[in-house]
Amino acid sequence: MNYFPDEVIEHVFDFVTSHKDRNAISLVCKSWYKIERYSRQRVFIGNCYATNPERLLRRFPCLKSLTLKGKPHFADFNLVPHEWGGFVQPWIEALARSRVGLEELRLKRMVVTDESLELLSRSFVNFKSLVLVSCEGFTTDGLASIAANCRHLRDLDLQENEIEDHRGQWLSCFPDTCTTLVTLNFACLEGETNLVALERLVARSPNLKSLKLNRAVPLDALARLMACAPQIVDLGVGSYENDPDSESYLKLKAAIKKCTSLRSLSGFLEAAPHCLSAFHPICHNLTSLNLSYAAEIHGSHLIKLIQHCKKLQRLWILDSIGDKGLEVVASTCKELQELRVFPSDLLGGGNTAVTEEGLVAISAGCPKLHSILYFCQQMTNAALVTVAKNCPNFIRFRLCILEPNKPDHVTSQPLDEGFGAIVKACKSLRRLSLSGLLTDQVFLYIGMYANQLEMLSIAFAGDTDKGMLYVLNGCKKMKKLEIRDSPFGDTALLADVSKYETMRSLWMSSCEVTLSGCKRLAEKAPWLNVEIINESDNNRMEQNGHEGRQKVDKLYLYRTVVGTRMDAPPFVWIL
Amino acid sequence: MDFSNSCSSFSSSSVDSTKPSPSESSVNLSLSLTFPSTSPQREARQDWPPIKSRLRDRLRGRRLLCRGDDTSLFVKVYMEGVPIGRKLDLCAFSGYESLLENLSHMFDTSIICGKRDRKHHVLTYEDKDGDWMMVGDIPWDMFLENVRRLKITRPERY
Repeated sequence: MNYFPDEVIEHVFDFVTSHKDRNAISLVCKSWYKIERYSRQRVFIGNCYATNPERLLRRFPCLKSLTLKGKPHFADFNLVPHEWGGFVQPWIEALARSRVGLEELRLKRMVVTDESLELLSRSFVNFKSLVLVSCEGFTTDGLASIAANCRHLRDLDLQENEIEDHRGQWLSCFPDTCTTLVTLNFACLEGETNLVALERLVARSPNLKSLKLNRAVPLDALARLMACAPQIVDLGVGSYENDPDSESYLKLKAAIKKCTSLRSLSGFLEAAPHCLSAFHPICHNLTSLNLSYAAEIHGSHLIKLIQHCKKLQRLWILDSIGDKGLEVVASTCKELQELRVFPSDLLGGGNTAVTEEGLVAISAGCPKLHSILYFCQQMTNAALVTVAKNCPNFIRFRLCILEPNKPDHVTSQPLDEGFGAIVKACKSLRRLSLSGLLTDQVFLYIGMYANQLEMLSIAFAGDTDKGMLYVLNGCKKMKKLEIRDSPFGDTALLADVSKYETMRSLWMSSCEVTLSGCKRLAEKAPWLNVEIINESDNNRMEQNGHEGRQKVDKLYLYRTVVGTRMDAPPFVWIL
Repeated sequence: MDFSNSCSSFSSSSVDSTKPSPSESSVNLSLSLTFPSTSPQREARQDWPPIKSRLRDRLRGRRLLCRGDDTSLFVKVYMEGVPIGRKLDLCAFSGYESLLENLSHMFDTSIICGKRDRKHHVLTYEDKDGDWMMVGDIPWDMFLENVRRLKITRPERY
């Protein structure tokens, strides 16, 4: 290969797109490293504190697309305080100063301010795509800057962010000359929407493929929007309530019939269930259906809708569908690849919740299933063994039994054998979440069999440090390990410090690790940031050696090449 | 509520070798975790089950957590034939009588429940299964737990 000129090698590299592969190429030799870094356009940074903007720009001066992730995953469940960190501002400032030709920015769990959005919108002439997932810190004023200043905006995709809605006119900030929109997702906005501006924007966006509306867009507006965007592929319905005899409903039905490209449906934030039948004519084309926010739609209406969706590959639903409903899914959706069943009753024990029977039915009926997230009331080892036999191709298996520490409800045994069967059968398993009553045994199985496992979530499980050690010693590909409320302590934490260099991060909260254990770890591994998050009582965390036996509330450690971060709030103590 | 404190009170304080074996621990939780599954007024935690805040808020908004003075249960009320509905806090009423009285006043017509009558509007409700039922058959407390929305039907229908 080295006999070829650089341009040829570079051309070959163009065909290599995955980050993993690109990273591997760059390690082959110095000349490949050099060629690769100048030709890399898309960069993925899984932990924004593992490196810094200067190093990014030094290595990849030609980057066009940047993906950044901030807070650890458990931040989604209120385990990380809001002010912990993950600020995008320094990154945007550095990128702006360097005049890099940024076209796409994708952020997850980061703090974004209106100032950042304004700077972003003014600094990059060719900026096309902004995707914000689970971010916070900005308002609709920031959106207005993006709308007004990004001349070639293609994607504005806001997924589940906390956005302060100033009920302003951000939608009318898109200039009349803006006709390039492909994706417009503002479903997470809580406030009112300027419907006139929205309709005009959609009408002048012939390339619009994905439109996700918020709850403030009523049914009659939806009808008009769909009528001027029949090319839509991905639709998020906002408020979907009306008297079914009204004229708008008839118009909606007519518009829906014309949307022959529609493949993905979501939303229904406020929905009158009997109106769902308007979508039946296009259901046979749907590959993705997300009804996880449609808390108003129950049993029979859900099932009627799903019975029309024979090509469904992805289904996100609430457990109000029940085991019977899942049986209908199993017999209808033979192409199903990904299923998520969310809890609909936080206080537990509704008749409509799902059990192990629904899971078994799905595993038996859907041979292509590879990803599942399943919240349920109860589980048995026998069911999990059956599921493992039916579906050996799982890549992601996440089971959440709502009551922690709940054993097999038939045998009262721990669920070690059931999960053991899953990891043994599913040789491609990359992500696993455990729940129910579990001893160290399940971790022995995981360490032994889960060779491809990259992410493991543990809650209320295990007996001794051995459990955690089995995982750390066995899972060679582990990247992210997150543990809460489990009896793992310093022995496990300190057994093999070099392991953490091969991982992105480790989270441990309400476990048995002590302050002195964490200090020792930090001493042994200066290339790790060892963060202690302690919100309750600052006096508990004394510098004094005697207090070293104090248990640590929350520990978050991650490898980094840039040392201690400077932006940590007072309650985060970096050792 | 200082939540991080209550979190740490749930985790085990001592793990020793004299713990009961797992098969005995279906009731005796070896992590000394107290998760009361059957207590009537269970307080919902902010960090369990592991779902995102947006879904948690949405689900919580639909349910009464406990019947205190400061709780409310707003449901939509539609009059058949009228596209714009109203919203009503059912916790503001002591029972069916006061509900009917208030509704009759709100919609300026006489509304009854539980009886077929060609002259009066009849009050119906949608329950958690999605079925439309006559208001008044079950005790008021049970009604509050089951009701999703109200509809006032036209007299002739019944």
